[in-house]
Amino acid sequence: MNGSRHDRSGGRRPEPATVRFAFTPAAAYVRAARLVAADVAAHAGVATGLLDEVRQAVGEACTRAVLRHRDRGLRDLVRVEFSIGDRFVAKITDNAQDLRARSGDRVGAAAVGGDARASDHDALEEDTLSEEITLIVLGGLVEDLVVTGPSADGGTTVSMSWPLPGSGSQADH
Amino acid sequence: MRGTSGDGAPEPELGLGLSTVGDYAVISVTGEIDMYTAPQLREAVRQLSSEGRMRVAIDLTPTEFCDSTGLGVLIGARRRLTDAGGSLVVVCANPRIRKLLDLTGLDKVLDVREAVPGE
Repeated sequence: MNGSRHDRSGGRRPEPATVRFAFTPAAAYVRAARLVAADVAAHAGVATGLLDEVRQAVGEACTRAVLRHRDRGLRDLVRVEFSIGDRFVAKITDNAQDLRARSGDRVGAAAVGGDARASDHDALEEDTLSEEITLIVLGGLVEDLVVTGPSADGGTTVSMSWPLPGSGSQADH
Repeated sequence: MRGTSGDGAPEPELGLGLSTVGDYAVISVTGEIDMYTAPQLREAVRQLSSEGRMRVAIDLTPTEFCDSTGLGVLIGARRRLTDAGGSLVVVCANPRIRKLLDLTGLDKVLDVREAVPGE
């Protein structure tokens, strides 16, 4: 990533930049991911008024990914990528190949993962609710939102983008 | 107070202040509600109901951040309290969180108010 704020006041556009990282699917790291998102977006020049939206949306997508991994007892890393080009693009990829398991399967998957909350019915129910709400929040919050997958060899990817000043693509899709 | 986890990573902050206003036990939430901190809020509501405090108000006005996990806790708390003959009021004069409640339609499901009843 470049060390200075992108100059979007005109002239030659800077080279596209990428920030990529991955984290263990644990709740404790979701905050770090959303704070990095807001910071990278600010650095890229995303309008100040949209930074809360970026933080919330990336947090929701990461929460969803962690819940999907937790469901399946997966310890694979959740992958996050931000790219700065014509727009600021955030991609959050999980590795949960199947759609969310049914209630009975979920307890089993949590037990395989050694999750002590497997017996906590309320927490599981709220997790189910939360995954559904993440998509509702994302759909309401982000105009340019695409969720792909799961594919045969991978999980799902939440792709979102926001306009950058001077990019000629101010309007969201 | 911001703590650190075993590997030194900073932990999200969540503050839960308990008070009583009229018939309501009020939980005033400061800091960030996300999937890491939400269990603390869930437990606080559970603790109140185990003490027979079935009329609960969760005050999100001073809350810095709330994600879908927090919304899930609100829905779960409402269900548990209502099932037990009580009620949940969500107090929120915070535009950022009001927006979240609006876009999920939860403003119509939850009893959302500007202030604790009787305040």
